Amino acid sequence: MTDIATPESTYTCPYCKQASPGVSTSCPTCGAPVDIKLRTTASGWTELPSIADMARIQFGQSTCQVEGRLVPVAEMKLAAGDGVYFTHDVLLWQEPAAHVDALPLTKPWTRHRAGMPLVMLQASGPGRIAFSHDSPGELIALPLQRGAAVDVREHALLAATSGVNYDWVETGVWFVASEEQKEDTAGGVKLLKMGLELAGATSGDGRDRDRNDQPTWHYPVGQFIDRFHAGDQPGLVLVQASGNAYVRELAAGESLLVKPPALLFKDPTVGMQLHVEYPAAGVKLWRTWGNRYLWLRVFGPGRVGLQSCYDHLDDPGTDFRDLSPHTDHLWR
Amino acid sequence: MTDVEQRIQCRWCHAQSPSSARTCDRCGAPLDVHDAVTDSGWRQAPRLRDLTEFHWAASTCQLDAGAVPVVEITLDAADSVFFEHHTMLWKDETVPMAVMNTPGGAKRLLSGMPFVLSVARGPGRVAFSRDAPGEIIVIPIEAPHEVDVREHALLLASATLSYSFEKLPGLRAMLVANTGMYLDRYVAQSAPGLLVLHGFGNVFERTLGEGETILVEPGGFLYKDATVTMELAQVNFKGSMAATSPPADEAAQAGATAAPAAEPAASSGRFGRGLKGLMGAKSMLNVGALASAAGSLRSGGGLQGVAASLAGGGGATLMRMKGPGRLGVQSMFMAHKSE
Repeated sequence: MTDIATPESTYTCPYCKQASPGVSTSCPTCGAPVDIKLRTTASGWTELPSIADMARIQFGQSTCQVEGRLVPVAEMKLAAGDGVYFTHDVLLWQEPAAHVDALPLTKPWTRHRAGMPLVMLQASGPGRIAFSHDSPGELIALPLQRGAAVDVREHALLAATSGVNYDWVETGVWFVASEEQKEDTAGGVKLLKMGLELAGATSGDGRDRDRNDQPTWHYPVGQFIDRFHAGDQPGLVLVQASGNAYVRELAAGESLLVKPPALLFKDPTVGMQLHVEYPAAGVKLWRTWGNRYLWLRVFGPGRVGLQSCYDHLDDPGTDFRDLSPHTDHLWR
Repeated sequence: MTDVEQRIQCRWCHAQSPSSARTCDRCGAPLDVHDAVTDSGWRQAPRLRDLTEFHWAASTCQLDAGAVPVVEITLDAADSVFFEHHTMLWKDETVPMAVMNTPGGAKRLLSGMPFVLSVARGPGRVAFSRDAPGEIIVIPIEAPHEVDVREHALLLASATLSYSFEKLPGLRAMLVANTGMYLDRYVAQSAPGLLVLHGFGNVFERTLGEGETILVEPGGFLYKDATVTMELAQVNFKGSMAATSPPADEAAQAGATAAPAAEPAASSGRFGRGLKGLMGAKSMLNVGALASAAGSLRSGGGLQGVAASLAGGGGATLMRMKGPGRLGVQSMFMAHKSE
């Protein structure tokens, strides 16, 4: 990304706050349309705008053109000397002239164990290359000024410019719960065992179950989060949000509870912590699902971006054996 | 004095319509909007308006646009269409159904393709949709012409088209798609026909010039003219990680951290594109290496080449498409589950 601002700059994008001449129909820094107003809810969430079809975003001497509305495609025209990196699974097509190589990564085993992409690639110009994710949603452009950084949920990256440093850091949000291991028995055998249990012929108490319970680790926002940091040059990070994307600026010390899988990106200044909420209930159920809600507490200062369509949070509902630093609240 | 009627040509299918028409009568494309074309020449498939009507033979198609579009066809008594049965959404009770014997027999079953194709005959109405967000692509085919389509992308085809299917040959193709990679071929031999496809996500078309090539991710391919040749190309990436077991120091370090490593997530994204999940993983790690090794053997690289391929590992299998002709891609891929 280059500095688009010139002495003739007359337009400041309300989303990325960058100045540009304002002569095109979209912001050359983030692709937001220039003819729309900020749409902000009473609580302070701003809906990130859909990047218009065929809008161009400039970085270095290269451009990124965004096309499509259901599953948008980012098509890069890379100039000589410019490059982008990406996970291999988002590659849609490339011209033979574009040079693609592996991005050196450290700790492959740790990444594999954490479910992070093992293969990341980098493309360098001149040439064209295009990317898309395999899910409907919005393409979000996050321009980074010199020295700025942003944390992005794992697997949300579409591409980042090569001047942006890539790192991955522990989220520090996890819990350990007991989980019953699935028995690998045929349906008929299971049915027979259930029948014998009901008839009292075998022990159906919790002891058998306890023997099967094993501690399992859960990472509500992933074990790691991708961190992108612009060095002495501005950069651009493209991410894919499932559904719609919203951003909110949190003041210093201001905190908010969000669904953990909904977190899309945040400023590194924004902290995260697990919060467990126990609703008021007359009786404690056999399993505690329904008796607790898992939240992600995010606290400012900084931006928080959410996506409206997110994966199911896997909580077995059994008692915690251990969990990361957290807060909790019991409603009475 | 001759009364000359003004006509307008559809930029998608090149049919002519009266200048007052808003949509093409043959493919439904809007006639009053500009083409959206990227700098590199990819044209967005026309966004068909909700309830747009277009005609084929004596039958009428109507589109319910939306995230998951539906095509409804009112069949004339003389017309019939064929399709994969899972795309049928609803039908009039009176519409007679039949099956079309397809070449290949058990080979189709083994490859995850439907054993037979269903045929609906007029008169009556039938509607079709697929189970994912996407776009409807209408391709009228003049005789003699043929179009190749990725397996399972068909929504409906007029019975005037002949159908066959082809398997991409070679070990690499088999490894990339597990069972192999198949193309449906539709040929208008003596009469024009209609092909209606469903592309996942958004669909883009590009016309390749003579000898022009482009590399496409296998999951992105949707259709092509028969004149466009296609071959699988192994792209190797220097320095990619082939490690599938932990280096001793790293494993020790991981074990010493306060929060133990999670089980490998079965989440999407890691090997999401193309032939999802395991197949994608195979494509990038094992298959890349295996196919590369096979290529080394075949090209005379000898055992040294095989060893280097297996050790070096990283690579991707892309499809090298070579013009001339049309090429269509989709921006999303979802593996079809055969029934």
